[in-house]
Amino acid sequence: MALSKEERCRELAQLVGIPLMEAEVAEVAERFESLMRELERLTQLDLAHIQPVLVFPEEEAQL
Amino acid sequence: MTRHDIPWLSAAETAVAIKTKQVSPVEVVQAYLARIEQFDGQLHAYITVMREEALAAARQAEQTVLRGGDVGPLFGVPVAVKDQFWTRGILTTNGSRVYRDFVPDADATVITRLQQAGTILLGKLNLSELAMGGTQEPPWGIPRNPWDRERTPGESSSGSGVALAAHLCAASVGEDTGGSGRSPASYCSAVGLRPTCTRVSRYGMTPMCWYLDTAAPMTKTVQDCALILGAIAGYDPRDPFTSRRPVPDYTARFGRGLRGIRLGLIRELDEDAGMHPEVKQAIHNAVEVLRQQGAEVHEVSIPLVALAGAIFVGVADTEGAGARDDVLRTRAAELDRASRTRLQAAALVPAKVYNRALKARVLLRQQFLEALRHVDVLVSATAPAPPPKHTALTAPFVNADDVRSRFFFRRAYTGCYALTALPAISIPGGFTTDNLPIGLQLGARPFAEELLLGVAHAYEQATPWHTRRAPGIEE
Repeated sequence: MALSKEERCRELAQLVGIPLMEAEVAEVAERFESLMRELERLTQLDLAHIQPVLVFPEEEAQL
Repeated sequence: MTRHDIPWLSAAETAVAIKTKQVSPVEVVQAYLARIEQFDGQLHAYITVMREEALAAARQAEQTVLRGGDVGPLFGVPVAVKDQFWTRGILTTNGSRVYRDFVPDADATVITRLQQAGTILLGKLNLSELAMGGTQEPPWGIPRNPWDRERTPGESSSGSGVALAAHLCAASVGEDTGGSGRSPASYCSAVGLRPTCTRVSRYGMTPMCWYLDTAAPMTKTVQDCALILGAIAGYDPRDPFTSRRPVPDYTARFGRGLRGIRLGLIRELDEDAGMHPEVKQAIHNAVEVLRQQGAEVHEVSIPLVALAGAIFVGVADTEGAGARDDVLRTRAAELDRASRTRLQAAALVPAKVYNRALKARVLLRQQFLEALRHVDVLVSATAPAPPPKHTALTAPFVNADDVRSRFFFRRAYTGCYALTALPAISIPGGFTTDNLPIGLQLGARPFAEELLLGVAHAYEQATPWHTRRAPGIEE
Protein backbone atom coordinates (compact mmCIF):
# COMPACT_ATOMS: atom_id res chain seq x y z
CA MET A 1 0.00 0.00 0.00
CA ALA A 2 1.29 3.44 -0.94
CA LEU A 3 2.44 5.67 1.87
CA SER A 4 0.57 8.89 2.57
CA LYS A 5 2.45 12.20 2.17
CA GLU A 6 2.82 12.44 5.91
CA GLU A 7 4.04 8.85 6.32
CA ARG A 8 6.60 9.29 3.56
CA CYS A 9 7.80 12.50 5.16
CA ARG A 10 8.13 10.86 8.59
CA GLU A 11 10.08 7.98 7.07
CA LEU A 12 12.49 10.21 5.17
CA ALA A 13 13.00 12.44 8.20
CA GLN A 14 13.84 9.42 10.28
CA LEU A 15 16.34 8.23 7.68
CA VAL A 16 18.18 11.55 7.63
CA GLY A 17 17.96 11.94 11.40
CA ILE A 18 15.80 15.06 11.49
CA PRO A 19 13.21 15.02 14.29
CA LEU A 20 9.85 16.50 13.27
CA MET A 21 7.19 17.94 15.55
CA GLU A 22 4.07 15.85 15.19
CA ALA A 23 1.85 18.93 14.87
CA GLU A 24 3.94 20.11 11.92
CA VAL A 25 4.32 16.89 9.94
CA ALA A 26 1.51 17.83 7.56
CA GLU A 27 3.10 21.22 6.87
CA VAL A 28 6.55 19.74 6.25
CA ALA A 29 4.98 17.11 3.99
CA GLU A 30 3.11 19.75 2.00
CA ARG A 31 6.27 21.83 1.56
CA PHE A 32 8.29 18.78 0.56
CA GLU A 33 5.69 17.60 -1.96
CA SER A 34 5.48 21.09 -3.47
CA LEU A 35 9.24 21.32 -3.80
CA MET A 36 9.52 17.88 -5.36
CA ARG A 37 6.65 18.67 -7.74
CA GLU A 38 8.39 21.83 -8.94
CA LEU A 39 11.76 20.14 -9.25
CA GLU A 40 10.13 17.31 -11.21
CA ARG A 41 9.78 19.82 -14.04
CA LEU A 42 13.56 19.80 -14.39
CA THR A 43 13.49 16.20 -15.60
CA GLN A 44 12.35 17.56 -18.98
CA LEU A 45 15.72 19.28 -19.47
CA ASP A 46 18.69 17.74 -21.24
CA LEU A 47 21.35 18.01 -18.56
CA ALA A 48 23.44 15.01 -19.56
CA HIS A 49 26.58 16.95 -20.50
CA ILE A 50 26.48 19.59 -17.79
CA GLN A 51 28.81 19.59 -14.80
CA PRO A 52 27.11 20.83 -11.63
CA VAL A 53 29.82 23.35 -10.66
CA LEU A 54 29.26 25.56 -7.65
CA VAL A 55 31.60 28.47 -8.43
CA PHE A 56 32.02 29.54 -12.04
CA PRO A 57 35.45 30.09 -13.59
CA GLU A 58 36.37 33.74 -13.92
CA GLU A 59 37.34 33.25 -17.58
CA GLU A 60 33.64 32.99 -18.39
CA ALA A 61 33.42 36.71 -17.73
CA GLN A 62 35.19 37.31 -21.05
CA LEU A 63 32.35 37.25 -23.55
CA MET B 1 22.13 73.29 7.32
CA THR B 2 20.15 72.19 10.40
CA ARG B 3 20.05 68.83 12.15
CA HIS B 4 16.67 68.21 10.53
CA ASP B 5 18.13 68.45 7.03
CA ILE B 6 20.86 65.85 7.58
CA PRO B 7 18.96 62.54 7.31
CA TRP B 8 17.48 63.52 3.93
CA LEU B 9 20.94 63.75 2.36
CA SER B 10 22.43 60.92 0.37
CA ALA B 11 25.59 59.30 1.73
CA ALA B 12 27.71 61.16 -0.83
CA GLU B 13 26.08 64.49 0.07
CA THR B 14 26.59 63.77 3.76
CA ALA B 15 30.31 63.18 3.22
CA VAL B 16 30.64 66.42 1.27
CA ALA B 17 28.79 68.32 4.00
CA ILE B 18 31.23 66.89 6.57
CA LYS B 19 34.30 67.55 4.46
CA THR B 20 33.28 71.16 3.86
CA LYS B 21 32.47 71.55 7.58
CA GLN B 22 28.82 72.40 7.01
CA VAL B 23 28.08 69.74 9.60
CA SER B 24 30.21 67.72 11.99
CA PRO B 25 30.21 63.91 12.10
CA VAL B 26 28.83 64.15 15.64
CA GLU B 27 25.86 66.21 14.47
CA VAL B 28 25.24 63.71 11.69
CA VAL B 29 25.24 60.72 14.02
CA GLN B 30 23.08 62.54 16.56
CA ALA B 31 20.57 63.41 13.83
CA TYR B 32 20.22 59.77 12.83
CA LEU B 33 20.07 58.56 16.42
CA ALA B 34 17.23 61.01 17.07
CA ARG B 35 15.28 59.61 14.12
CA ILE B 36 15.92 56.04 15.22
CA GLU B 37 14.65 56.99 18.66
CA GLN B 38 11.52 58.54 17.15
CA PHE B 39 10.59 55.97 14.52
CA ASP B 40 12.23 52.62 15.09
CA GLY B 41 9.88 51.59 17.88
CA GLN B 42 7.19 51.35 15.19
CA LEU B 43 9.26 50.22 12.21
CA HIS B 44 11.63 47.62 13.74
CA ALA B 45 14.48 48.26 11.34
CA TYR B 46 17.17 47.78 13.98
CA ILE B 47 18.06 44.84 16.20
CA THR B 48 20.99 46.62 17.84
CA VAL B 49 21.59 50.37 17.87
CA MET B 50 25.28 51.06 18.61
CA ARG B 51 24.66 54.47 20.12
CA GLU B 52 27.77 54.89 22.26
CA GLU B 53 30.13 53.27 19.74
CA ALA B 54 28.77 55.48 16.94
CA LEU B 55 29.10 58.65 18.98
CA ALA B 56 32.66 57.76 19.98
CA ALA B 57 33.58 57.09 16.35
CA ALA B 58 31.94 60.37 15.33
CA ARG B 59 33.96 62.34 17.89
CA GLN B 60 37.12 60.76 16.53
CA ALA B 61 36.06 61.59 12.97
CA GLU B 62 35.39 65.16 14.02
CA GLN B 63 38.98 65.48 15.21
CA THR B 64 40.22 64.18 11.86
CA VAL B 65 38.19 66.80 10.00
CA LEU B 66 39.36 69.59 12.31
CA ARG B 67 43.00 68.49 11.82
CA GLY B 68 42.46 68.69 8.06
CA GLY B 69 43.09 64.96 7.74
CA ASP B 70 42.50 62.90 4.64
CA VAL B 71 38.79 62.22 4.23
CA GLY B 72 37.28 60.12 1.43
CA PRO B 73 33.88 60.13 -0.27
CA LEU B 74 32.22 58.17 2.54
CA PHE B 75 34.01 59.74 5.50
CA GLY B 76 31.74 60.25 8.50
CA VAL B 77 28.74 58.64 6.83
CA PRO B 78 26.51 56.67 9.25
CA VAL B 79 25.85 53.19 7.91
CA ALA B 80 23.96 50.21 9.29
CA VAL B 81 24.40 46.59 8.27
CA LYS B 82 22.23 43.50 8.15
CA ASP B 83 22.66 41.55 11.38
CA GLN B 84 24.27 38.75 9.41
CA PHE B 85 27.70 40.43 9.35
CA TRP B 86 29.95 39.62 12.27
CA THR B 87 30.86 42.55 14.45
CA ARG B 88 33.55 41.99 17.05
CA GLY B 89 32.12 42.27 20.54
CA ILE B 90 28.63 43.14 19.23
CA LEU B 91 25.64 40.78 19.19
CA THR B 92 25.08 39.21 15.75
CA THR B 93 21.74 37.42 15.74
CA ASN B 94 21.21 36.39 12.11
CA GLY B 95 17.58 37.12 12.93
CA SER B 96 17.29 33.87 14.87
CA ARG B 97 16.80 32.86 18.47
CA VAL B 98 19.46 30.24 17.78
CA TYR B 99 22.01 33.08 17.64
CA ARG B 100 20.49 35.30 20.33
CA ASP B 101 23.73 35.16 22.36
CA PHE B 102 26.25 35.07 19.51
CA VAL B 103 28.94 37.72 19.94
CA PRO B 104 31.67 37.24 17.30
CA ASP B 105 35.32 37.72 18.17
CA ALA B 106 36.13 39.12 14.73
CA ASP B 107 34.72 41.62 12.27
CA ALA B 108 33.47 40.59 8.85
CA THR B 109 35.70 41.92 6.07
CA VAL B 110 32.80 44.11 4.93
CA ILE B 111 32.74 45.75 8.36
CA THR B 112 36.50 46.29 8.33
CA ARG B 113 36.39 47.87 4.88
CA LEU B 114 33.46 50.12 5.74
CA GLN B 115 35.46 51.36 8.72
CA GLN B 116 38.56 51.85 6.58
CA ALA B 117 36.45 54.02 4.28
CA GLY B 118 35.66 56.21 7.27
CA THR B 119 32.00 55.28 7.70
CA ILE B 120 30.46 55.11 11.16
CA LEU B 121 28.52 51.99 12.11
CA LEU B 122 25.15 52.98 13.60
CA GLY B 123 23.88 49.49 14.26
CA LYS B 124 22.73 46.07 13.13
CA LEU B 125 19.56 45.67 11.09
CA ASN B 126 16.63 43.29 11.29
CA LEU B 127 16.33 40.39 8.85
CA SER B 128 14.30 37.30 8.17
CA GLU B 129 15.54 34.36 10.17
CA LEU B 130 18.85 33.00 8.86
CA ALA B 131 18.47 35.26 5.82
CA MET B 132 15.78 32.94 4.43
CA GLY B 133 12.53 34.87 4.23
CA GLY B 134 9.02 33.99 5.35
CA THR B 135 9.61 34.33 9.10
CA GLN B 136 6.20 34.34 10.80
CA GLU B 137 7.18 35.79 14.17
CA PRO B 138 10.47 37.71 13.90
CA PRO B 139 12.07 37.70 17.36
CA TRP B 140 13.05 41.37 17.11
CA GLY B 141 9.73 42.61 15.75
CA ILE B 142 8.04 42.66 12.35
CA PRO B 143 9.91 45.10 10.09
CA ARG B 144 7.33 47.55 8.72
CA ASN B 145 7.46 48.99 5.23
CA PRO B 146 7.40 52.80 5.65
CA TRP B 147 5.40 53.13 2.42
CA ASP B 148 2.58 51.06 3.96
CA ARG B 149 3.16 49.57 7.37
CA GLU B 150 0.78 46.69 6.74
CA ARG B 151 3.00 45.52 3.91
CA THR B 152 6.29 43.67 3.84
CA PRO B 153 9.46 45.66 3.23
CA GLY B 154 10.83 42.64 1.35
CA GLU B 155 13.12 39.87 2.55
CA SER B 156 15.53 39.01 3.86
CA SER B 157 17.47 42.29 4.28
CA SER B 158 14.22 43.78 5.54
CA GLY B 159 15.76 46.17 8.06
CA SER B 160 18.04 47.66 5.40
CA GLY B 161 15.06 48.50 3.20
CA VAL B 162 13.10 49.97 6.11
CA ALA B 163 16.04 52.00 7.42
CA LEU B 164 16.71 53.52 4.00
CA ALA B 165 13.06 54.32 3.26
CA ALA B 166 12.63 55.91 6.69
CA HIS B 167 16.05 57.63 6.58
CA LEU B 168 17.28 55.86 9.70
CA CYS B 169 20.75 55.41 8.18
CA ALA B 170 22.58 57.06 5.31
CA ALA B 171 23.53 53.78 3.63
CA SER B 172 23.45 50.07 4.33
CA VAL B 173 24.97 46.77 3.40
CA GLY B 174 22.55 43.89 3.23
CA GLU B 175 23.07 40.44 1.82
CA ASP B 176 21.64 38.78 -1.27
CA THR B 177 21.35 35.00 -1.65
CA GLY B 178 18.42 34.98 -4.08
CA GLY B 179 17.14 38.53 -3.99
CA SER B 180 17.47 39.39 -0.32
CA GLY B 181 19.03 42.74 -1.14
CA ARG B 182 17.12 43.61 -4.31
CA SER B 183 13.68 42.63 -3.04
CA PRO B 184 13.70 45.03 -0.05
CA ALA B 185 15.20 47.71 -2.30
CA SER B 186 12.31 47.22 -4.73
CA TYR B 187 9.61 47.20 -2.06
CA CYS B 188 11.07 50.20 -0.22
CA SER B 189 12.05 52.37 -3.23
CA ALA B 190 15.76 52.11 -2.57
CA VAL B 191 18.79 50.94 -4.53
CA GLY B 192 20.04 47.39 -4.00
CA LEU B 193 22.95 45.78 -5.81
CA ARG B 194 23.87 42.14 -6.06
CA PRO B 195 27.51 42.21 -7.21
CA THR B 196 29.20 39.43 -9.14
CA CYS B 197 29.45 36.57 -6.68
CA THR B 198 33.20 36.75 -6.08
CA ARG B 199 33.48 40.54 -6.05
CA VAL B 200 33.04 41.08 -2.29
CA SER B 201 34.47 38.98 0.53
CA ARG B 202 32.06 36.79 2.42
CA TYR B 203 34.37 36.37 5.39
CA GLY B 204 32.33 36.93 8.53
CA MET B 205 28.97 36.86 6.75
CA THR B 206 26.92 34.03 8.20
CA PRO B 207 26.06 31.80 5.23
CA MET B 208 22.65 30.86 3.92
CA CYS B 209 23.96 29.10 0.79
CA TRP B 210 27.70 29.74 0.60
CA TYR B 211 28.10 29.75 -3.18
CA LEU B 212 25.12 32.05 -3.78
CA ASP B 213 25.55 34.54 -0.92
CA THR B 214 26.88 38.02 -1.65
CA ALA B 215 27.13 41.22 0.32
CA ALA B 216 24.66 43.73 -1.14
CA PRO B 217 25.16 47.49 -1.02
CA MET B 218 21.76 49.09 -0.32
CA THR B 219 21.46 52.83 -0.57
CA LYS B 220 19.31 55.88 -1.24
CA THR B 221 20.97 56.66 -4.58
CA VAL B 222 22.94 54.93 -7.32
CA GLN B 223 25.98 57.09 -6.61
CA ASP B 224 25.97 55.92 -2.98
CA CYS B 225 25.73 52.34 -4.18
CA ALA B 226 28.80 52.81 -6.39
CA LEU B 227 30.75 54.31 -3.49
CA ILE B 228 29.81 51.56 -1.05
CA LEU B 229 30.68 48.85 -3.58
CA GLY B 230 34.02 50.52 -4.23
CA ALA B 231 34.72 50.50 -0.50
CA ILE B 232 33.93 46.84 0.15
CA ALA B 233 34.95 45.09 -3.11
CA GLY B 234 38.26 43.38 -3.76
CA TYR B 235 40.36 40.36 -2.98
CA ASP B 236 40.44 39.08 0.58
CA PRO B 237 42.75 36.23 1.58
CA ARG B 238 40.20 35.21 4.21
CA ASP B 239 37.74 34.41 1.41
CA PRO B 240 39.82 32.58 -1.20
CA PHE B 241 36.98 32.73 -3.73
CA THR B 242 37.19 36.52 -4.02
CA SER B 243 38.44 37.81 -7.35
CA ARG B 244 41.89 39.38 -7.69
CA ARG B 245 40.64 41.78 -10.36
CA PRO B 246 41.34 45.41 -9.57
CA VAL B 247 38.43 47.40 -8.17
CA PRO B 248 37.46 50.11 -10.67
CA ASP B 249 35.91 53.49 -10.03
CA TYR B 250 32.28 52.47 -10.14
CA THR B 251 31.16 56.03 -10.86
CA ALA B 252 33.29 56.20 -14.00
CA ARG B 253 30.37 55.88 -16.43
CA PHE B 254 28.15 58.43 -14.75
CA GLY B 255 27.06 61.23 -17.07
CA ARG B 256 28.23 59.51 -20.24
CA GLY B 257 24.76 58.79 -21.63
CA LEU B 258 23.49 55.53 -23.03
CA ARG B 259 24.29 55.84 -26.73
CA GLY B 260 25.43 52.46 -28.01
CA ILE B 261 24.18 50.54 -24.99
CA ARG B 262 22.01 47.54 -25.98
CA LEU B 263 19.21 46.70 -23.58
CA GLY B 264 17.39 43.37 -23.56
CA LEU B 265 13.90 43.11 -22.09
CA ILE B 266 13.54 39.53 -20.83
CA ARG B 267 10.49 38.22 -22.69
CA GLU B 268 9.56 35.39 -20.34
CA LEU B 269 9.37 37.73 -17.35
CA ASP B 270 7.72 40.54 -19.27
CA GLU B 271 4.98 38.24 -20.54
CA ASP B 272 4.35 36.63 -17.17
CA ALA B 273 0.58 36.42 -16.80
CA GLY B 274 0.93 36.92 -13.06
CA MET B 275 2.57 40.30 -13.37
CA HIS B 276 0.68 43.23 -11.87
CA PRO B 277 -0.44 45.51 -14.74
CA GLU B 278 0.97 48.65 -13.10
CA VAL B 279 4.34 46.96 -12.63
CA LYS B 280 4.38 45.90 -16.26
CA GLN B 281 3.49 49.42 -17.40
CA ALA B 282 6.19 50.93 -15.16
CA ILE B 283 8.84 48.67 -16.68
CA HIS B 284 7.76 49.58 -20.20
CA ASN B 285 7.86 53.25 -19.24
CA ALA B 286 11.35 52.77 -17.85
CA VAL B 287 12.52 51.12 -21.04
CA GLU B 288 11.21 54.12 -22.96
CA VAL B 289 13.14 56.50 -20.68
CA LEU B 290 16.31 54.52 -21.35
CA ARG B 291 15.61 54.49 -25.09
CA GLN B 292 15.22 58.26 -25.09
CA GLN B 293 18.69 58.51 -23.63
CA GLY B 294 20.20 56.66 -26.54
CA ALA B 295 19.96 53.00 -25.59
CA GLU B 296 18.92 50.43 -28.20
CA VAL B 297 16.12 48.22 -26.92
CA HIS B 298 15.75 44.59 -27.88
CA GLU B 299 13.72 41.66 -26.61
CA VAL B 300 15.63 38.59 -25.48
CA SER B 301 14.48 35.10 -24.63
CA ILE B 302 15.82 33.11 -21.68
CA PRO B 303 13.56 30.04 -21.75
CA LEU B 304 14.64 28.56 -18.43
CA VAL B 305 14.08 31.74 -16.42
CA ALA B 306 10.50 30.75 -15.62
CA LEU B 307 11.87 27.78 -13.68
CA ALA B 308 14.50 29.82 -11.86
CA GLY B 309 12.39 30.03 -8.71
CA ALA B 310 12.11 26.26 -8.43
CA ILE B 311 15.80 25.79 -9.24
CA PHE B 312 16.70 28.40 -6.67
CA VAL B 313 14.69 26.78 -3.89
CA GLY B 314 15.97 23.34 -4.88
CA VAL B 315 19.55 24.55 -4.68
CA ALA B 316 19.57 27.12 -1.89
CA ASP B 317 17.16 25.51 0.54
CA THR B 318 18.72 22.08 0.16
CA GLU B 319 22.23 23.46 0.65
CA GLY B 320 20.96 25.62 3.52
CA ALA B 321 19.34 22.64 5.22
CA GLY B 322 22.57 20.66 4.92
CA ALA B 323 24.55 23.52 6.41
CA ARG B 324 22.06 23.76 9.31
CA ASP B 325 21.98 20.05 10.01
CA ASP B 326 23.16 20.51 13.59
CA VAL B 327 20.43 23.06 14.24
CA LEU B 328 17.77 20.82 12.68
CA ARG B 329 18.87 17.88 14.79
CA THR B 330 19.27 19.57 18.14
CA ARG B 331 17.79 23.10 18.23
CA ALA B 332 14.93 23.07 15.75
CA ALA B 333 12.45 24.18 18.40
CA GLU B 334 14.24 27.53 18.63
CA LEU B 335 13.59 28.29 14.97
CA ASP B 336 10.55 30.17 13.74
CA ARG B 337 7.94 27.69 12.54
CA ALA B 338 8.20 28.79 8.89
CA SER B 339 12.00 28.49 8.83
CA ARG B 340 11.88 25.17 10.62
CA THR B 341 9.37 23.48 8.33
CA ARG B 342 10.98 24.95 5.20
CA LEU B 343 14.44 23.68 6.17
CA GLN B 344 13.09 20.33 7.33
CA ALA B 345 11.35 19.82 3.98
CA ALA B 346 14.52 20.76 2.10
CA ALA B 347 16.56 18.34 4.21
CA LEU B 348 14.54 15.47 2.74
CA VAL B 349 15.39 16.25 -0.90
CA PRO B 350 17.27 13.29 -2.47
CA ALA B 351 20.82 13.87 -3.70
CA LYS B 352 19.90 13.16 -7.32
CA VAL B 353 17.26 15.89 -7.27
CA TYR B 354 19.71 18.40 -5.76
CA ASN B 355 22.25 17.40 -8.39
CA ARG B 356 19.69 17.99 -11.15
CA ALA B 357 18.89 21.44 -9.77
CA LEU B 358 22.62 22.28 -9.73
CA LYS B 359 22.91 21.23 -13.38
CA ALA B 360 19.82 23.24 -14.31
CA ARG B 361 21.52 26.23 -12.66
CA VAL B 362 24.49 25.84 -14.99
CA LEU B 363 22.17 25.58 -18.00
CA LEU B 364 20.40 28.74 -16.89
CA ARG B 365 23.75 30.52 -16.71
CA GLN B 366 24.56 29.38 -20.24
CA GLN B 367 21.27 30.88 -21.44
CA PHE B 368 21.97 34.18 -19.67
CA LEU B 369 25.51 34.40 -21.05
CA GLU B 370 24.16 33.67 -24.53
CA ALA B 371 21.64 36.50 -24.19
CA LEU B 372 24.44 38.78 -22.99
CA ARG B 373 26.38 38.16 -26.20
CA HIS B 374 23.67 40.15 -27.97
CA VAL B 375 22.83 42.83 -25.42
CA ASP B 376 24.77 44.65 -22.70
CA VAL B 377 22.13 44.98 -20.01
CA LEU B 378 19.06 42.86 -19.23
CA VAL B 379 15.87 44.53 -18.03
CA SER B 380 12.91 43.28 -16.02
CA ALA B 381 10.87 44.08 -12.97
CA THR B 382 12.54 43.19 -9.66
CA ALA B 383 9.27 41.69 -8.45
CA PRO B 384 6.09 40.89 -10.36
CA ALA B 385 3.88 42.81 -7.95
CA PRO B 386 4.07 45.62 -5.40
CA PRO B 387 4.85 44.67 -1.79
CA PRO B 388 2.21 42.26 -0.45
CA LYS B 389 0.66 42.52 2.98
CA HIS B 390 2.49 40.81 5.82
CA THR B 391 -0.44 38.46 6.23
CA ALA B 392 -0.21 37.33 2.61
CA LEU B 393 3.32 36.05 3.23
CA THR B 394 2.44 33.97 6.21
CA ALA B 395 -0.97 32.64 5.10
CA PRO B 396 -1.11 28.86 4.51
CA PHE B 397 -0.85 27.71 0.89
CA VAL B 398 -4.21 26.54 -0.47
CA ASN B 399 -3.07 24.40 -3.43
CA ALA B 400 -0.19 23.65 -5.79
CA ASP B 401 -0.90 26.66 -8.03
CA ASP B 402 -0.86 28.90 -4.99
CA VAL B 403 2.51 27.48 -3.94
CA ARG B 404 3.85 27.94 -7.45
CA SER B 405 2.81 31.57 -7.77
CA ARG B 406 3.49 32.70 -4.17
CA PHE B 407 6.58 30.72 -3.33
CA PHE B 408 8.38 29.67 -6.50
CA PHE B 409 7.55 32.00 -9.37
CA ARG B 410 8.19 35.34 -7.67
CA ARG B 411 11.65 34.04 -6.80
CA ALA B 412 12.42 33.65 -10.49
CA TYR B 413 12.80 37.41 -10.94
CA THR B 414 15.69 37.85 -8.56
CA GLY B 415 16.76 34.23 -8.12
CA CYS B 416 17.86 33.98 -11.75
CA TYR B 417 20.77 36.37 -11.19
CA ALA B 418 21.76 34.66 -7.96
CA LEU B 419 21.83 31.27 -9.62
CA THR B 420 23.86 32.56 -12.55
CA ALA B 421 26.31 34.53 -10.37
CA LEU B 422 25.70 37.66 -12.44
CA PRO B 423 25.48 41.20 -11.11
CA ALA B 424 22.05 42.82 -10.91
CA ILE B 425 20.67 45.99 -9.44
CA SER B 426 17.22 47.11 -8.34
CA ILE B 427 16.48 50.81 -8.54
CA PRO B 428 13.31 52.81 -7.94
CA GLY B 429 11.22 52.38 -11.10
CA GLY B 430 7.99 54.14 -10.21
CA PHE B 431 4.94 53.80 -7.99
CA THR B 432 1.50 52.27 -8.27
CA THR B 433 -1.57 54.47 -8.02
CA ASP B 434 -1.65 53.38 -4.35
CA ASN B 435 1.82 54.91 -3.85
CA LEU B 436 3.55 51.55 -3.53
CA PRO B 437 7.12 51.27 -4.86
CA ILE B 438 8.01 49.41 -8.04
CA GLY B 439 11.56 48.16 -8.63
CA LEU B 440 13.35 48.19 -11.98
CA GLN B 441 15.95 45.44 -12.24
CA LEU B 442 18.99 45.58 -14.51
CA GLY B 443 21.46 42.72 -14.97
CA ALA B 444 24.75 42.36 -16.79
CA ARG B 445 27.65 40.06 -17.52
CA PRO B 446 30.15 39.10 -14.79
CA PHE B 447 32.10 42.03 -13.30
CA ALA B 448 30.14 44.58 -15.36
CA GLU B 449 29.02 46.50 -12.27
CA GLU B 450 30.50 49.71 -13.67
CA LEU B 451 28.23 49.48 -16.73
CA LEU B 452 25.26 48.45 -14.63
CA LEU B 453 25.68 51.39 -12.29
CA GLY B 454 26.17 53.76 -15.22
CA VAL B 455 22.86 52.73 -16.80
CA ALA B 456 21.12 52.80 -13.40
CA HIS B 457 22.47 56.28 -12.73
CA ALA B 458 21.29 57.57 -16.12
CA TYR B 459 17.78 56.27 -15.42
CA GLU B 460 17.75 57.64 -11.88
CA GLN B 461 18.79 61.09 -13.01
CA ALA B 462 16.04 61.14 -15.65
CA THR B 463 13.25 60.19 -13.23
CA PRO B 464 11.92 61.58 -9.93
CA TRP B 465 11.31 58.32 -8.06
CA HIS B 466 14.32 58.46 -5.73
CA THR B 467 13.26 61.87 -4.42
CA ARG B 468 9.81 60.77 -3.22
CA ARG B 469 9.43 60.32 0.55
CA ALA B 470 7.41 57.68 2.33
CA PRO B 471 4.39 58.99 4.27
CA GLY B 472 4.58 59.60 8.00
CA ILE B 473 8.34 59.79 8.39
CA GLU B 474 8.71 63.55 8.77
CA GLU B 475 9.86 64.60 12.23
